[in-house]
Amino acid sequence: MRIELGAPTVEDTRAIGAALADLLRAGDAVALTGELGAGKTTFVQGVAVGLGFAGTVVSPTFTLVREYRGRLTVHHVDVYRLDRVQDVLDLGFEEMTDDGVLLVEWGDAVEGLLPSEHLSVELTVPGHGERRRLVLTAVGPSWATRWERLERSLEPWGSAA
Amino acid sequence: MIVLGIETSTPQTSVALGTETEILGSTSLTGTARQDAVVPAIEHLLRWTGLELSAVGGVAVGLGPGLFTGLRVGVEAGKSLAQVLGVPIVGIPSLDALAFGVRHTSRMVGAVIDARRGEVFYAFYRTVHGGVVREGDYQVAPPDHLAADLEARGEDVLLAGNGAILYRRELEGTGGRLEFASAVSAHPQAGSLVELAIPRMHREEFDRLFDVVPLYLRKSDAEIAWDQRRRGASA
Repeated sequence: MRIELGAPTVEDTRAIGAALADLLRAGDAVALTGELGAGKTTFVQGVAVGLGFAGTVVSPTFTLVREYRGRLTVHHVDVYRLDRVQDVLDLGFEEMTDDGVLLVEWGDAVEGLLPSEHLSVELTVPGHGERRRLVLTAVGPSWATRWERLERSLEPWGSAA
Repeated sequence: MIVLGIETSTPQTSVALGTETEILGSTSLTGTARQDAVVPAIEHLLRWTGLELSAVGGVAVGLGPGLFTGLRVGVEAGKSLAQVLGVPIVGIPSLDALAFGVRHTSRMVGAVIDARRGEVFYAFYRTVHGGVVREGDYQVAPPDHLAADLEARGEDVLLAGNGAILYRRELEGTGGRLEFASAVSAHPQAGSLVELAIPRMHREEFDRLFDVVPLYLRKSDAEIAWDQRRRGASA
């Protein structure tokens, strides 16, 4: 299951995050992949707003974990500063999905430590004259029943995949 | 001497104030994300017991093994208080506290805490006069590993803890005669930390503040494969 989208502006990235938020359930994990400046934190802002969180969302690069309470609690994690697998284990991912959703920046680097079922969101920094792109891929079957609805709600940004 | 105990290694957050002779007050609350309750619970206990924070002469914290989020909050709260008050701190493995709480038995004690991901943290204890003595290492393993351990021991064992309750069906019928402690002993109690800490405080076996760290059993020495961070940094 794969959806490819075009996100020309920061607002688009945010709106896609908000559209995804409507379909999130407690226990979901989302791995965010993309270089510095690709829009990972912007995407999380969209998710948090979509879940009804009214506060500020900034990258937890230095705090490692931030928590936003909306319809579901968002556990926003950034592993960029971590070097050892143990440091990631010490964050306790499995507990964060107990009561909410887990969003991990640089998630692909620690994919083996994420819940085996998760959604991967890949953001790409466009080269000169290119469009900003966003690719969603479901890992495991937990998204199967929601996939059609997700595709429908993301239609406005759909590019010829 | 008044000692404050803080235990947050399981979904139960437990706080207690006690002396050599009695537990002056204790409070426990079970549920996920209850670690927010640690500081308000301490304030509550102080108010209800009519004590000033400055009356606290030592801090005892449960080190796990257990849930990461709870441990981080509980251990940090204990360390901050010890530092601010300038009082000694003692870290105690939470499995020890769990076993200590059910020590009035002639059987061997198995302390078993749910570790998530289909695993349990556990250790075995021999009861001795006034306490328990651990036999073997702290373990993290699936319940069938524990069942094999029970089989190998072949002794009558009292199993206590939320992990024993959760996997009762898998464990029953293995080894010698098993007894399961009831829900009241499902979690390590802060009162047990206080009782275990006081003799150590009298012997001045304090821990250094920076040595008090949660007990993580799932160890990994591996490094994160960071190709893309390097690529990003060099871009």
